[in-house]
Amino acid sequence: MSEDREALKYSKDIINQLAVIIRTAQIHDIGNVAVVSAIDKFVTSINSLLREYNILTFELLGEFFYFNETRVRYAMEYLLNFDFLAREFKRRDLGSITFSGRIKGEDVKVFLRAFISSPYAQTPYEALLEGTSTIDSISVGPLKKIVEEGDFDIRRVVKKTYFNAVSFTKGVITKIKSGEKVSIKKAKRVVESMVDMILQEEELLLGMTAIKDYDEYTYHHSVNVSILSVALGQRIGLNRRALTELGLVALFHDIGKMEVPPEILNKPTNFNDDEWRIIQKHPFWGVRAILKLKGLDNTSIRTAIVTFEHHLNYDLSGYPKITRSLNLDFYSRIVSLADQYDAMTSSRVYSRIPMSPDKALSVMMERAGTQLDPLLFKFFINMIGVYPIGTLVLLDTKELGLVYGANPVFQDRPRVLIIIDSEGKRVSGPIVDLTEKGEDGKYLRTIIKTMDPNKYRINLAEYLL
Amino acid sequence: MTKDIRQIDDVRITRDIVQTILKAKKTIRMYPENNPIYLKTIEDVYSRFREFLDYRDELTLRIKQYEILLDTTPVYSNPDKEDNLALFFFKDGLRELTFLKGLYREEIEEFLKIIALDFDREIVDDDVVTLLWERDFQNIKYVADEEFLTEDEGYEDKASETVKTRSATVDEIMKAYTDAFLAEGVNGISIVNLTDKDLQSLVKEMEGDQEGKIEKLSDILFEMIYHIENQAELEDIYRFIRNTMTYSLEQGNMDAFIHIAKSLIRMSEDKGISEGIKKLIHILLSSISSEEMINYVGEIFDTNPEIDEGILLEYKELLDKTAISPLIALLGRLKSIHGRKRVISLLVDLGKMDIQTLAKGLYDSRWYVVRNILYILRQIGDKKAVEYLIDTVRHPDSRVRREAIKAIGELKSPHSLQILKDCLNDYDPSIRKTAVKALSNFGSETAKRIILAKVNEKDFLNREFDEKKEFYEALSKWDDDEIREFLIRVLKKRAFLKRSKHDENKACAAYCLGFIGNRDNLAVLERLRDSKNNLIREYANFAIRKIEYERR
Repeated sequence: MSEDREALKYSKDIINQLAVIIRTAQIHDIGNVAVVSAIDKFVTSINSLLREYNILTFELLGEFFYFNETRVRYAMEYLLNFDFLAREFKRRDLGSITFSGRIKGEDVKVFLRAFISSPYAQTPYEALLEGTSTIDSISVGPLKKIVEEGDFDIRRVVKKTYFNAVSFTKGVITKIKSGEKVSIKKAKRVVESMVDMILQEEELLLGMTAIKDYDEYTYHHSVNVSILSVALGQRIGLNRRALTELGLVALFHDIGKMEVPPEILNKPTNFNDDEWRIIQKHPFWGVRAILKLKGLDNTSIRTAIVTFEHHLNYDLSGYPKITRSLNLDFYSRIVSLADQYDAMTSSRVYSRIPMSPDKALSVMMERAGTQLDPLLFKFFINMIGVYPIGTLVLLDTKELGLVYGANPVFQDRPRVLIIIDSEGKRVSGPIVDLTEKGEDGKYLRTIIKTMDPNKYRINLAEYLL
Repeated sequence: MTKDIRQIDDVRITRDIVQTILKAKKTIRMYPENNPIYLKTIEDVYSRFREFLDYRDELTLRIKQYEILLDTTPVYSNPDKEDNLALFFFKDGLRELTFLKGLYREEIEEFLKIIALDFDREIVDDDVVTLLWERDFQNIKYVADEEFLTEDEGYEDKASETVKTRSATVDEIMKAYTDAFLAEGVNGISIVNLTDKDLQSLVKEMEGDQEGKIEKLSDILFEMIYHIENQAELEDIYRFIRNTMTYSLEQGNMDAFIHIAKSLIRMSEDKGISEGIKKLIHILLSSISSEEMINYVGEIFDTNPEIDEGILLEYKELLDKTAISPLIALLGRLKSIHGRKRVISLLVDLGKMDIQTLAKGLYDSRWYVVRNILYILRQIGDKKAVEYLIDTVRHPDSRVRREAIKAIGELKSPHSLQILKDCLNDYDPSIRKTAVKALSNFGSETAKRIILAKVNEKDFLNREFDEKKEFYEALSKWDDDEIREFLIRVLKKRAFLKRSKHDENKACAAYCLGFIGNRDNLAVLERLRDSKNNLIREYANFAIRKIEYERR
C-alpha cells in the first residue's frame, strides 16, 4: 500500500538480521560460512531498501529502535533479538548506525570486526568509530541520553491520566451501587489514555502505581492492576486493541468488592472466618455485576471470566472453589500477577502487612509454578526489574535512592531517584542510570542494599505528585 | 502566489474538503464498497485532500462546538444540533484533527467509514475517538480533550495532598539512611533471562487463548451455581445462562450452544444440586426448543452452508416435541435450500413424537411449507398421518396435491384407496397421473379394480396420450389373466369412430404388456409390428425389446 509502511516492515527485518549477524559473529569467525551467509542476506535486504531511500539510519533511543526517525514496532518473535541488539548498542555507547550508497559484504565484515572488539577498549564507542572509519557506506553515532527537559509537563500528564482513571473508577462504582447507567465508552477512553501512557511513559505511570498511601485503596488498586497488566501485556507484544481490552478487564477485576460491606473491607484488624467467607465471595459478585452492567460481548465476557478467576491460582487452588478443572484465561493469569504484586506492596489489604517491592517479588518468585504462571512471571520480572519501582536502595556511592524506572536489558541496573547524596545530605534527585559507566569502563553506581520503604514512609510521591 | 492569496486558497480548499467529508458521511453508509457512487465519494474526498497536501505538510482542523476552523478562519459553521459535523466530533472530546502529507486513500476511506457509523445505535460501543485510536492512522492525528472523563475534578489534588502529608519527614529519611548501612547486602539476586523457548511457549499460549470464551463463561456460571446463597442470586445466574445461550446463537456459535446445553444436562443429573435449581435447569433445557432459540438457529442454518454433521446430530438430541411448531414456522421463513433441508431433517425425527402437531403444518398458508410437511410425513411413514392428508389432496396448489398423493400412496392406510380414487378425477392431469401411480404402488385387488374401472370409463378414451400411458403402465403391476384379457381386448378392438384415440389405447396396451414382461404376450405384440399405425408399431417394438431384454 505505501512505501513507508513497507519500509518499516523491512526495517524490522533488518534490525533482526543485524542482531543475527552479530550473534553469529560472536560465536564464529567472521569468515565462517554461517556468518558470511547471514551477511549476504543482510546486504541484499539493505541494498534493496537503499534503492528507495538514499540513507538508512537505525537509532536506539531509550529502549526503542527508530528507523529514519520513525519508531520500529515489532512482533513477539523479534523481542529477544531487539533486546539483544539494544544491549549490545548500550555496551558500546553506540546510538545509531547509518547506511548509505551501496553496501558491500566486505564493508559489513569491517564493521563487524570493529563492533565485536570495541567493548574491550577503554572507550568502546571511540574504538568502534575508529574501526569503521575506513568504510564510507556505514557510519555510527553515539548513544543519546534521553533528554529530561519537559519532564515536568510529562509528569503532569501522567499524573492526570492516573488520577482520571482512579476518579473514573470511583465514579463507576458509585454509579453501579446507585443503579445508574455506566458508560463503557468512557471506560474505554480512560483505559486508552493509560495504554498510550504505557507506550510512551511506562516508567512514570508504573511509578504512580508504586505510591500506596492513598485513602481509597480499592480504586487505586483497580487502576494499579490495570496499569501493571497493560505494561505486562505490552511487554509480551499485545496490540493496542488487546491492551485496551486487558486494561478494561483488569480495571473491573475487583468490581465484586462493592458488595462487601465497608466495615469488613476497611477493617483494621484481621478477618474472622465469616468475614473471610464474605471477602471470598467477591469474584462471584463481580461476575454478577459485570453481566448486569451491559449485554454480552467479547469484553464483558472476558471481564466476567477474569473477575471470577483472578483469585484462582495457577494450580487452581485459591478461591472460589471449583468443582471441575478449567484452563485459566490468559488475561486472568496476567491480572492475577498484577493483583498479587500490587496487593502485597500495599498497606490496606487483608494481610495488613505491606511488603517492600523487592520482597514482594521474591515471594512471588516462590509462588511461580504453583500459585502463579511461571512463564508470565518471567516476563513480569523482566518488565518490573529485579528492583521494582519504589524500592529503597543504597548504592555503593553511599547514596540512598528510590528505584524510579526498570531497565529491561540490565534488570539489576534500574534508574534511581537519589534522595540522600553521598555526603549524607537530603536531596531531591537527580535521577541516575545505573548502566552509566565511568571513563575506566566501570559502572558509576551499583545497588548494594535494599530497604523496606514502607517502614520509613518513603515513596516516590514527592517527585511524581 | 502571495501569502494572502495562498491563505485564501487554503481556506477555499479546506471548505471544499469539509463539505465533501460531510457529503461522504451520509453517502458511504448507503452503498456497498464496490458501488461506483461509494468509490467516487472516496475519490472525491481523497483528491480534495491531495489538492491541499500537495503544497502543504499538514492540514489541521480545529474543532469547536458549532464550528470547524482552519487556524482562526471558520471553514464550517452550523448552529443546529442535528447533522452537525462540528458537534459530532466535539461531543466525544475531539478538538483537533490533523491530516498529514502522505495521507493514503485507504486511510481516508477508513476515516470516512468511522464517521459514517451510526453512533446512536446501541451496538456501537465505541466513540469516534476510540475508533480513531484503535486504527492508529499513520497520517491522521487528533487531539482529544480527556477532561470530560474526570468524575471528580478535585480528586487529584485531594489524593496528592493526602499522600504528601503522610510522606516521610527528613528525620525518617535520615534514619533510613543510617539503617541502610546496617542492612543485609543484595548478594545472589536472581536475574531472569528470557529464552527463545519462553517466547515460543508464550506465542503458543496466546494463540490458544483466542477461542472458547463463551464456553468458558458458561463453565463459570455453572460453577457459580454451587455458590448460590439466595433466590436473587439464583435468578441472576438463571438469566445469565439463558443470555449466554442466546448470545452463542446470535454469534452463530453452535459449538458453544451445544456445550452449554450439555452442561445443563450434566447439572440436571447432579445429585448435589437442589430441586429448586434443577427446576430452573429444566426450564433452560426446554427453552432450547423455544421459538426464540429456534429462530436464532434458523439464522445460522440459513447463512452457514457448512455445519458439522456431528453438531447437527447433537443439536437434534437436545430438542423435544415442543420444537415442532417453531420449526414449522421457521420452514416458511428460511431462504436457503441447505437451511430448509436441515429443518426438514430435524422435523423428520421430532415429528415422530407428535404427528398431530406436525400435521398442523399442513394448514400453513404457504404451499411450500405444506409440501415440506407432506414430505416429512412421507419420511416418517406413520399410517396415522393419512387422516391429516385428506384435506391436502384438495389443496389449491397442485404441487401440494402431488406430494399429498405420494404420501398417501406410500402410507397405505385403509382410507388411502378412496382418497386416491377421488384424485383420479382431479382436474389436473399430472395429479391424476400421480394418483394412478400411487394406486399401482398399493398393488391390491381393490386398487386394480379402481384403475380398471377408470380406464374402462367412456371418456377415458379422450384423455391425453401421456396420461393414458401412465394409467396403462399402472396396470402392469398386476400380471394376471384379468389384466391380460383386458389388454388383448383393447388391442383387438375395432373402431370406426375416434380411430386415432383407439389406436392410442392400443399403443398404451402394448406398452403395458412390455412392462408386464411375460413372454406369453410376445405373440400378440409381434402381430402389432405390422400395424399401419406408427404409434402402435413403436410401442409394440418397445414392449418386445423390453421383454426380450429382461429375458436375458
